[in-house]
Formats: sequence, structure tokens, C-alpha cells
Amino acid sequence: MLNTLAQAFALITTWEVIVAMLAASVYGLVIGSLPGLSATMATALLVPVTFYLSPIAAIATIVAASTMAIFAGDIPGALLRIPGTPASAAYADEAYAMTRKGEAELALGAGVWFSAVGGIAGTLSLMILAPPLAEIALSFSTFEYFWLAFLGLMCATLVARSSPVKAIASMFIGLLVACIGIENPGGVPRFTFGMTNLFGGIEPIPALVGVFAVAQVMRAMLTPEPPPIPRRKFGSILAGQWKLTKKYNWQMTRGNIIGIIIGVLPGAGADMAAWVSYAMSKRFSKEPEKFGTGHVEGLVEAGASNNASIASGWVPSLLFGIPGDTIAAIAIGVLYMKGLNPGPTLFTEKASSMYAIYLMFIIANIIMIPLGIVMIRLASYVLRAPRSTVMPVIMLCCAVGSFAIGNNIFGVVIVATFGVIGYVMEENGYPVAAMVLGIVMGTMIEQSFVTSLIKSDGSVFPFFERPIAAILAAMAIGALIWPVLVWVWRRLRRGAPAAASAR
Amino acid sequence: MRLPDRVTGLFLVGLGAAAAYGGWQLPPVPGQPVGPNVFPLVIGTGLALCGLAIALGIGRSFEEEEHLIPVEGGQVKPPTGKLYGLRALLPPALLLFYVAIAERLGFILTATLIVYVTATALGARWKVALPLAVLAPIGIHLIFSKLLRVPLPPGVLPMPW
Repeated sequence: MLNTLAQAFALITTWEVIVAMLAASVYGLVIGSLPGLSATMATALLVPVTFYLSPIAAIATIVAASTMAIFAGDIPGALLRIPGTPASAAYADEAYAMTRKGEAELALGAGVWFSAVGGIAGTLSLMILAPPLAEIALSFSTFEYFWLAFLGLMCATLVARSSPVKAIASMFIGLLVACIGIENPGGVPRFTFGMTNLFGGIEPIPALVGVFAVAQVMRAMLTPEPPPIPRRKFGSILAGQWKLTKKYNWQMTRGNIIGIIIGVLPGAGADMAAWVSYAMSKRFSKEPEKFGTGHVEGLVEAGASNNASIASGWVPSLLFGIPGDTIAAIAIGVLYMKGLNPGPTLFTEKASSMYAIYLMFIIANIIMIPLGIVMIRLASYVLRAPRSTVMPVIMLCCAVGSFAIGNNIFGVVIVATFGVIGYVMEENGYPVAAMVLGIVMGTMIEQSFVTSLIKSDGSVFPFFERPIAAILAAMAIGALIWPVLVWVWRRLRRGAPAAASAR
Repeated sequence: MRLPDRVTGLFLVGLGAAAAYGGWQLPPVPGQPVGPNVFPLVIGTGLALCGLAIALGIGRSFEEEEHLIPVEGGQVKPPTGKLYGLRALLPPALLLFYVAIAERLGFILTATLIVYVTATALGARWKVALPLAVLAPIGIHLIFSKLLRVPLPPGVLPMPW
């Protein structure tokens, strides 16, 4: 193991990796702190760049940019009451209230400090959880993989903060998109409408750039520009954080654990982690009445939670190729591209690369503290950049980046199309993340489904016969009928008092 | 572009039915119980059922209203005309414009147009939009073409590097 660790160290101490990581960190901090640009968008726009990097440097940029962007979303949240990324939305009000009380340093310091702590806790979970799970996963057959992928898709729809029916519909749309192309059990062109460009299918990355970047520019066309930030000088950022760590030790730990659990669940990312943790913090606080008035407790817990979920989201991605969140979905694409195909064997065959990923997560979270402090101090300059200058550059990056992915101009058409699809879906309450997961997982779920059916000669019973498959099947079906049960239960409960009053 | 659930639901019913029908038409693999037709059939059926449920309003009670954080200090209200919503289509339209014209006009000129139009549409004055439209394409060209070696169309105005 020490040997592999040394190899991993050698992998990440090349100039290419160090420069890539620093550049991606700065990029992630800037994009994350600009309101309206999410961490997912930052990562998606980065993908074309990763084509031209070595595998480790490519993954380093994804790790660094996503980690930094999730923290950086706290900055405009605290200073402007506009969260930079959705993951900071849960506590933007609270942080802004602290700024108004003159505690901007404490709020932003808590953001950077507890994000780093959460990120490291998430990395530890990745290091501890993944290898034993990989051992179990090695015994999985296509039946287990089918149920696992199915369960992942169901989780993605369960945790969406919209109607579960719409979330499931989004997921089906994604799976339908994944059907396009000739990569199917018969090798026949499917839903290509005679267009050769569609024979290869629709790659997840241009689709992602479309739904997360182009759709955002479309939204900006209709919404008014956020107000500029007032200039201010900051005092010491980290002062008092150690005291907070000791005082809110338990809240921090709970935030880390919740973040890790939510990160591992497919489809539930950093924003879900932040909302749940903030609600938990308020629910179990000794002074719940202080929440909303500029109280740091919720910030500690939710700030730790959203960054913890980033690293733990890589657990299902690395093991099964099932993304923990949209950022991990992008990471999977990059892993495949770089020959590090996700799967349990990654841990035995490419162990040094695995350790390199762990090390990069830890380094990213450590350098986040100094870089984050610099970013907070520069925030009043960066945040003054008007949207009308940032968005055109994003547009240009969408065009060039989607062309670069396949050196094919058709990629730009896909980006434009998915921009419209993503915009219309989001406007009408269909969660786009569920569709993205459908696109990413479609091929895998079809392959495991059809291979299993062929193995079982068309019978469905073997899907439930192996013990792990049976457990996974029960969980997946439970997740499927859960919304129905809740709906029936609500109906009955609402019906009962009405019936009683009628009597 | 906010449509009633009935409209989006019925659209999904149509899409699902079309997918299932299209899947059904695919040739099976000889000697195998399942082929490329099964998956689209299952998905299409599922999508059509979901669409039906949405059109009937099932599950709407789960929807959470968006948490919009009001900004203090008086915000400019967006003008609401009938055609105002169409502005949202400008970004995808510009991307298609890029596809159509970049090869002939070259990257730099096409990108200059795209940046200028986007910036102006977002409210930038020409004093800001013009320098941005000149500098941003050159910067992007430098990064992608020079550093990352993405072949960008030179067109009528090739870059010296």
C-alpha cells in the first residue's frame, strides 16, 4: 500500500497536474462566486479542456473546480443575499443577516473553514467506503447491476424537489435520449431518423453543457441583473473559526455525516445536502429562535455538509459508474474518456490512480483555505463584473467547447437543442438533473437489462433470485411506489377530518 | 414559456407513444428473445403513463414553490411584452448561427458577432460590448486553438498564430 501511495504521489507531483489544479481552483472560485453560474456548469465547461490533459491532470481539474465552486457560492450569498450556486441557497439568508450585523468575516470564514473540513471528511468517506464496497461489487452480475442502476434512477427522482411524477418523466426522457444511436443490442440505427450524425448517439457532455450553461444564458435574457456589491474592507477571515469548531463540534460532525450519506445517494447532490443539513440544524438546535437572525450554527452544519457530499458523490461513480450527482456524472464521462473506466476493478488494477484521486481531493480542500481567503478579499472586484460581459464569454465557450468534444460541428447543434430542452423543462417544473442521469445511465441500464433477459431466456424470475439482487429489487420497487403510498396516505388523512366534520 | 401541466403532460403522452411505436418497428435479433426494440417499448410506455398522470394533475401536491429571495433596494422589473419571452431563444439561435456560418466566415468574425449581440441583448452599452466582442474571441482562440490545439475555422480572418 505504501508503494501505491508513493506512486500516487509521483502521479500528482508533476508540473502539469500542479498547474492544472491551481488554474482550475481559481476558475472554480470565480465561476462559483458569480451568481447564476453553478458548480455543475463550471465543471461542464471545463470538460473540453480536459481532453488535452493527461488523465490525472484532467481529473485534478474536475476535483479542484467543483470543490472550489461549491464553497465560492457562499460568497455572494453572504454579501448580496444571492447564492452563487444552488448549494448555497439554503443558508444565503442567514449569511446575509450576519453580514448586516457586521459579521461578514465570521460568516465567510465559516464558509471556507467548514467547507474545507467537510470536504476532507467526504474524502475520508470515499477512502474508507469505496474499497470494501468494491469487494462486494466484484461479485455482482448483470442482474445486480440492473437493479442498482434502476435504484439509482429512482433515488434521483425521489430526492428531486418537484413532483415525483415529473421527475420520473424527466428520467424517462433522459433514457429515451440514451436510446438514440446504433449502440444497442441489435446494432441497428435507432431513432436516428437517417441522420449519420446521430449514429454515435448523443454524448452526455454536450447535453450537459446545453441544459446547464445555455439554458442559464437563456434565463439571464429574461431576468433583471442583480445589484452590484458594495465595496468593503474585510478584517481577519479565520479569526474565531477554531472557537466555532469547538463550540459546534457536534453540528459539524452531523453535517459531515449527512453530506456523506446524501452524496452517496445517486442524484442527490450538494444542494440537497445543504437544505437537509440546514433544516436538521434548526430542528435540533438549542436556540432555534436565533435562526434567520444571523446565527452561525446552521452555516457550520450546512457548509460542512455540501462540501462533504462532493467527494462522497464519487463513491457510486467510481464503483459502478452511477453518478452521485451531476458533477460526478461529468466526472464519469471524463473517467471513461481517459481510460479509467469506472468499476470495482479500478481499485485493484489502477490503485495508484485511485490514491491519486484521494490525494487530490485532500489537497484541493487544503488549498481552498488560502485561495478562498484571497477570493473573499477580491470578491468586491470579481462580483462587480456585469452579467452582460460574463454571459457572452460563456456562450462562446459553449460553442467552442462542444465543437472540441468531437471535433464535430454537430456538437454545437446538440448543445443548442439541449439548451432549449433544459430551459423549457426547468420552466415547467421538470428537474433537468433527473434527465441528465437518465442520459448518463441509459446505456448501462439497457445493457444490463437486455443481457440479463437473454441470460434468463426472457424470464423475469432470475431478476429476484440472487440474494443481493432481491434486496436491491425490493428497495427499487419500494422507491417506485413510495410516492403513491404518500399520496394515498395524504388523501386519507385529508379525507378523514372532512368526513368527520360532515357528520 | 410556462405551459399548463395538461399541455406538457399530453406532449409527453405523444412522445412516449411515438417512442414505443418506433421501438416496436425495430427489427428483432434472430434467435434472441429480446433485441433493440424492448427498451424503447418499456421507456415509451412509461413516459406515456407519466405524461397521462401529469395531465391529470397527479403528484402536483408535491411541487414546492420556488424559493425566490427578494432583493432589497428596489429592483428593476423586467418588461413584460408578448414577444419579450422570445428573447430567451436568442442564445440557441446564435449557436445555430455559429454552426451555419463559422466555416465560411471564420471563428474570429463569427465569435465577434455572437459576443456583441449577446452582450447588447443583456444590456451592455456599446462602449463595453465592442471591446469585449473584439477581445473575447481572440482570448478564446488563443486558449483553444493555440494551447489546446482545437482546429477552429480560420475563414476570412485567420489569426497569426
